[in-house]
Amino acid sequence: MVALDAGSLPIAVDGARKLRGGLTTARIRWVIAVLLLLFAAICGRLVQLGMVVQDTSIEGKARDIITATRPAILDRNGLELAVDVRVPSLFAEPRRIIDVDEAAAAVHSVLPDLSIDWLKQRLTGDKGFVWIKRELTPAIEDKIMQLGIPGLDFLTESKRFYPGGNEAAHIVGAVNIDNQGIAGMEKAMDDEDVALLQQVGLARGNELAPVNLSIDLRVQHVMHDVLTDALSRYRAAAAAGAMMDIKTGEILGLVSLPDFDPNNPGSALQKDTFNRMTAGIYELGSTMKSVTIAGALDSGKVKITDTFDARFGVRFGRFTITDFHGKNRILTLPEVYKFSSNVGAIHIMQQWGKENFRAFLHKMQFDVPEPLELPERRNPVVPKTFSDIVAATASFGHGLSVSPIAMLRAMGAFANNGVMVRPTMYKTSLADAEKTYQQVISPQTSAEMRYIMRLNANEGSGSRMNMLAQGYRAGGKTGTAEKVVNGRYDTSKVLSLFASVFPLDNPRYAMMILVDDPHTEPGQGGHTAGWNAGEATGRIIARVAPMLGISPNFDPMLDNNLVPPELR
Amino acid sequence: MIRVLNILLVCTSICMLVGVYALKYSVEDVAAEKVTLQHTIERQKADLSLLKADWAYLNQPANVAPVVNRHLVALNLQILSQDQFGSLDILPMRLKAPDANALNSLFQSLNSGVDPIQQIISESN
Repeated sequence: MVALDAGSLPIAVDGARKLRGGLTTARIRWVIAVLLLLFAAICGRLVQLGMVVQDTSIEGKARDIITATRPAILDRNGLELAVDVRVPSLFAEPRRIIDVDEAAAAVHSVLPDLSIDWLKQRLTGDKGFVWIKRELTPAIEDKIMQLGIPGLDFLTESKRFYPGGNEAAHIVGAVNIDNQGIAGMEKAMDDEDVALLQQVGLARGNELAPVNLSIDLRVQHVMHDVLTDALSRYRAAAAAGAMMDIKTGEILGLVSLPDFDPNNPGSALQKDTFNRMTAGIYELGSTMKSVTIAGALDSGKVKITDTFDARFGVRFGRFTITDFHGKNRILTLPEVYKFSSNVGAIHIMQQWGKENFRAFLHKMQFDVPEPLELPERRNPVVPKTFSDIVAATASFGHGLSVSPIAMLRAMGAFANNGVMVRPTMYKTSLADAEKTYQQVISPQTSAEMRYIMRLNANEGSGSRMNMLAQGYRAGGKTGTAEKVVNGRYDTSKVLSLFASVFPLDNPRYAMMILVDDPHTEPGQGGHTAGWNAGEATGRIIARVAPMLGISPNFDPMLDNNLVPPELR
Repeated sequence: MIRVLNILLVCTSICMLVGVYALKYSVEDVAAEKVTLQHTIERQKADLSLLKADWAYLNQPANVAPVVNRHLVALNLQILSQDQFGSLDILPMRLKAPDANALNSLFQSLNSGVDPIQQIISESN
């Protein structure tokens, strides 16, 4: 129609159909373009959503680590030493809180120990997560949930609980608020594998298998009880002890007083609460005579029938070493042990040779840190080479500082046919323990050692121990080491020790008891080891032996059988 | 033909729309239920852990021993001493037949008013 009005121009008319067709194609193109844009937008958004990284960390720590659990720690019979308790912890998301004042007032009404100002400051801002208070009770959780304030929520955390309190404090150790071990077996387990499990997120929920320690909680309780009593009875500064199964190396009980409450790890920081059994090194006094005599007998250079002149002190330049309970006569070897003669011990060591003595100390691993799993450890101080006087004092336990656990291990080996086992805090089978066996003295020397240990209990310094533990065939050696005060040995301040083994006719358990700075019990005879460490040992054996399946036996034949053929 | 097809398609889409929405709401319900259940489980696990801890605490020698000590006098409890242990082999063997003579003499002394067992008890006291 337009073309017709134009008149003279040549008429070129597209058909209406064709015209409409072109229009449709254009429209379809437009629609396709719009649709493509739409899909592109949707895809873009999807990609964007996929790229979003959700912040699951809580104040810089992964959420999994905070909610991670720790394996329960059980004793050898399955009693709990440490368990996880699931407790709610209150947190806030400040960016979701509408009315800060109202929220702060409401939280303050349930938790009055949090100040309102602190709460307001805490709840203001644009953060996604802040802790308000951790480790609350389910009752408080209910109350706060009933307040119905948006932006407040709970996270279930694992909290460590030690049902025994102080009793096994030095064994289990403690954890910090983030459930990481900071002492004792908790730390040892972390160093081994628990920390790794937590990191890879395998430690959520209650899935971790409980760990059985070698501890027998009944033995532990008795030791703790008797040593607490010893602390007040002898007005001592400290007391400690450990008992070991000499066949498997399992530590059945380990106590060090004063101790702390692992439920309140802050109490571990108080003075003098360190673990004396593993982190303490001491001059072990006359208990070392067991080592001197065992080594000398085993070398063959000294015989159990030999005699030693203890009439005079031994002179080293200006110094003369004499005996505390001087007999001033010629002593047989068992008498040297029984009367704890320093002079006799020196003569035995000299007949054996000081290099041999030093080498034997290395064989018994007195000069390396003991291999117990507990992380609290200290290097022993043993001179590399022995001069004449150092060797002489070392033969009765002065001039070298070692861990009481080393002596415990040695006593076990001397009684157990000369086989030394590696001590452990984990429950162990006999077969596994046998892999760590090490023959340190001959079975024959071991038999002679059993005889003199029992002799010392029947007639010597261990008689007070034996009186309390009659029928359990215990034996051992006392040690009273003078303590160094201001660089000099002070006769009034001593460290009392008792190293024992029972029952000696079929030795099974070794024990080491240590009483630091004891005083004479009113009405009793003295402050040397037999009166305190010895008595404590006797009390522990009398209570513990029936639990361990050892029944008392008063048959004199048992003692007679211990006497070596040469002395019958 | 095309009209019928269209009506059919519209009907189907309406049905599917309704279906999808129903599914969406039911999924939301299930999800909410799941969260509630999870919360309950968490809560019960927490309660269980507390009860277990309670039991562990009550079962500890450290907790039982003071209870025993508190009732030592009332229950007349004594610490077992070494000479109170025995073993099966110190018990005498059971007799094959009753000792007729001993029984006769026992009955005779009972008839005459003397109780030998009572005598042993009073002597040992």
